[in-house]
Amino acid sequence: MGFIRLAVFGFLFLSVVYLLVSIYSRSLRREKLEKRWDNDIKEGDRDAYIETGMKAYEGSLRKKLIVLVFIIPILVFLGTIYMVNFQ
Amino acid sequence: MWRYFKWGFRIFALLFVFLFFHYVLPQHDVVRVTNTYNRLTTVGANSIFYSAPDVGTAESATTRDIRFIEAVRPNDKVIVYRNEDTGWVWPPYFKYDSSNLQAEASNLKSTKEAPQWAVMTHYGWRLPFLSIYPNAISIREVDSPDVRLIPWVNIIILTTIALMLLTLRRMWAQFRERSIDPVLDDIDEASDAARDRAQGFWARFMGWLGSWRGKPRR
Repeated sequence: MGFIRLAVFGFLFLSVVYLLVSIYSRSLRREKLEKRWDNDIKEGDRDAYIETGMKAYEGSLRKKLIVLVFIIPILVFLGTIYMVNFQ
Repeated sequence: MWRYFKWGFRIFALLFVFLFFHYVLPQHDVVRVTNTYNRLTTVGANSIFYSAPDVGTAESATTRDIRFIEAVRPNDKVIVYRNEDTGWVWPPYFKYDSSNLQAEASNLKSTKEAPQWAVMTHYGWRLPFLSIYPNAISIREVDSPDVRLIPWVNIIILTTIALMLLTLRRMWAQFRERSIDPVLDDIDEASDAARDRAQGFWARFMGWLGSWRGKPRR
């Protein structure tokens, strides 16, 4: 029973963390694109440049790595169980 | 006065955080186990310093059979540990091998004449006044009482928490810079414009009043 509760609330908590980190990472990338256009490129359509960059971000490895937010705590959880109970 | 209050509050908050981590993080003691037993224990107002009643070892919320481990430190002071499952939530040790740990501790029992030293990992405090005991997590043999213990787990946990707090601060700063400040700027601009309009209206009104007294309009 306690295990199920941990699984459910842990998943909810990690989902919130995942959401926040995704928003943060996307915001960083957009800011970087804006600054790159303003400082270096300065020609063509600014909005189109940023939208293309954001589309590329959506398929990038960096975005996929945010899944580690779920994986690392689960590994720590399993590691703790091993260290405490099986050593 | 306000400053004292503010500093008092800060010191209190820091102390609370320190005590929290001091209670929850694992610590190592070098001990010689002298006795292991279980005793029917009544848990009352001090229940936050015991495991939750639903982890399996408890028979009721107030009275339960708890395993204890008695030990002696190298300086001849005694220490008593409880040995309870922590369950799945708090504190997050996920310990469910209390019986095995009790057996291991019994196996390491030794006398003062032929001491067998061991390192006991535990969390919690021994406060006789509140009848609370540190919870034993694991035990391992060592050859002599002068072992060098480096708290790697604590170093890693505290570093991780510090990094997470810094990240959280960076995230908040980014959110403010990108999402809140532009809106506030808009509000500022809008209120500036409104003030200009109001001033224009006021100036026109005064000018109109002045025209009654024969002043030329500007």
